[in-house]
Amino acid sequence: MKRGPIMRSEALHPGRVLAVARNTFREAVRNRAFLGLLLFSVAFILSSILLSALAVVGEGARVVVDFGFFAVALFAVATAIVMGALLVYKELEKKTIYTIVSKPIHRYEFILGKYLGLLTILVAQVVALGVIWALVILTRDGTVTFEHAKGMLLVVMEVGLIAAVAMMFSAASNPMLTGLFTFGLFIVGRLVYLIEEMLQAPKGLFVDNPVARAFGEVVVAVFPDLSVFDVSQQVLLGVPVAPSYLLHAFVYASAYALFFLVVALFAFERRDFT
Amino acid sequence: MSEAGSEAGSGPAPRKVPVLAFEKLSKEFKLGLRLRRVQAVRDVDLEVQQGEIFGYLGPNGAGKTTSMKMAMGLIRPTGGRALIFGESVERPAVRRRVGYLPEHPYFYDYLTGFEILDFYGQLYEMPKKKRHARVDELLTIVGLDHARDRTLRRFSKGMLQRIGIAQAILNDPDLVVLDEPMSGLDPMGRKEVRDIILALKEQGKTVFFSSHILHDIETICDRVAIIINGRVERMGSLGELLTGNAGLVEVVATGASPELLARLEGDGFTAAVAGHGHRLVVEEGGLDPVLRALLDGGATITHVEPMRESLEELFVREAGAHHAE
Ligand SMILES: Nc1ncnc2c1ncn2[C@@H]1O[C@H](COP(=O)(O)OP(=O)(O)OP(=O)(O)O)[C@@H](O)[C@H]1O
Ligand SMILES: [Mg+2]
Repeated sequence: MKRGPIMRSEALHPGRVLAVARNTFREAVRNRAFLGLLLFSVAFILSSILLSALAVVGEGARVVVDFGFFAVALFAVATAIVMGALLVYKELEKKTIYTIVSKPIHRYEFILGKYLGLLTILVAQVVALGVIWALVILTRDGTVTFEHAKGMLLVVMEVGLIAAVAMMFSAASNPMLTGLFTFGLFIVGRLVYLIEEMLQAPKGLFVDNPVARAFGEVVVAVFPDLSVFDVSQQVLLGVPVAPSYLLHAFVYASAYALFFLVVALFAFERRDFT
Repeated sequence: MSEAGSEAGSGPAPRKVPVLAFEKLSKEFKLGLRLRRVQAVRDVDLEVQQGEIFGYLGPNGAGKTTSMKMAMGLIRPTGGRALIFGESVERPAVRRRVGYLPEHPYFYDYLTGFEILDFYGQLYEMPKKKRHARVDELLTIVGLDHARDRTLRRFSKGMLQRIGIAQAILNDPDLVVLDEPMSGLDPMGRKEVRDIILALKEQGKTVFFSSHILHDIETICDRVAIIINGRVERMGSLGELLTGNAGLVEVVATGASPELLARLEGDGFTAAVAGHGHRLVVEEGGLDPVLRALLDGGATITHVEPMRESLEELFVREAGAHHAE
């Protein structure tokens, strides 16, 4: 019996992770529902041309910029939540997982590959929508600067984090709950900065009620502050986004994403595929 | 590593590490909110040696699929363990030398026949050129050349089963675990799979497979285990297990005249009508006089065969005995 290759392939192997990632991307590209959503979001952004026509003279480009930020983030977040919730679940439900985890691949490599594939899909989506958006701005006589691109980069970071959250929940529950929890986290995350402001206010609910205050503090401490990734107002005001800010946001998103992914990995490592 | 001791010159020959071993393998499922327990596999001990074709046989719900999934690390045992080449299958490096066909295999249906096998090849870290060549070779082996560029969504059940076989032998494995490999296949397909399994044996590989089609097990297995209700009830070579009617020989002859039959009847042999001729059951020792009598009487002997209990009869007997308990 040959005994040679038995020691190989114990460590993480990028080739296997990439194979899963590439295939995840390919699945999305061949999925009619996803292509439909993409088409719809393009139409949605194009529709801001009509919206801008209603704006006060000279404000057309502003409307388009603001609307674009909103639309790109909206569709990317929706994709992250829906795909993140379904990605691993479908493998279990359709039992395609059997022929994969019985191959010499670590389970964590599979999850990492799935996540990387989803990330690639999200980047492609944001880039595609971002380009359409930029073209729309140009037709409205606005200017497209590097700041807009930075804004899109921050959207990618945000949805990267959201996708990790969805994968974590989906490793332990069904897509309905995953979608609900992840959407909830997204909403709370977007509102964390408000709670933070209220906690610092000299009066109000958080001063009068100690229980509410403790609750508010826990929320602020635990939930990621997703407003970090929304620089639309800053870009509209023409204030440049500092590179150090981008770096900070990147580290912030990565730390959270890593944490959620690791939880997902552990949950996945333990489970039976029945 | 457990092959140590093989250099110990004196003493009895060291036992070879079994290719696949179940040691007190057990699995208990918890069902529903009240966690009702289902003991799917109970203390199964089993060893498959290199070069064997081992048949895993049992009625529906006996625990075949569950134990095979434990062998592949898809399900964790609640007791005992499954070893492949003496090692835990949880190590990816062990799985590198194993191929697995799940029951009713499911695949990414948006990929083509070529793409899906190419994808699996990547999980084995096969270099691209070698991989593509191997995939094309496999498509030929399982008879799917014509469907190379068709998406799996458009595959028939039997064609998917063939993809399943192909991915199970993609890496030229030393051990192949097949959960009902013939299911969903037409007679041609069944014969092809049988030939693939026999070819694997010829190459010194080990095959562990479950099947409902007793004829398939009977014709190719070296040993079988019969699992019923989670327990292995019988295990051994077919010769050992199928001993029910040992010593009896079946004779079929055509053209026997009524007088001849009457004479034989007088000697204590009853001839039953079988097809165009007559069938007699004779004890091995008393065969010669009967054959001579038949030939002398002008009959043509079309069939002489030692009678063996068929696997089916054994299977029904075992399952029935268990049911009666
Ligand atoms: N996920 C599960 N949860 C609870 N019970 C299960 C689960 N999977 C299998 N079982 C039970 O375990 C027992 C064995 O099932 P298994 O699928 O291993 O049988 P099998 O021998 O493969 O049957 P078949 O010939 O029908 O494929 C059955 O009683 C089944 O109901
Ligand atoms: Mg089964």
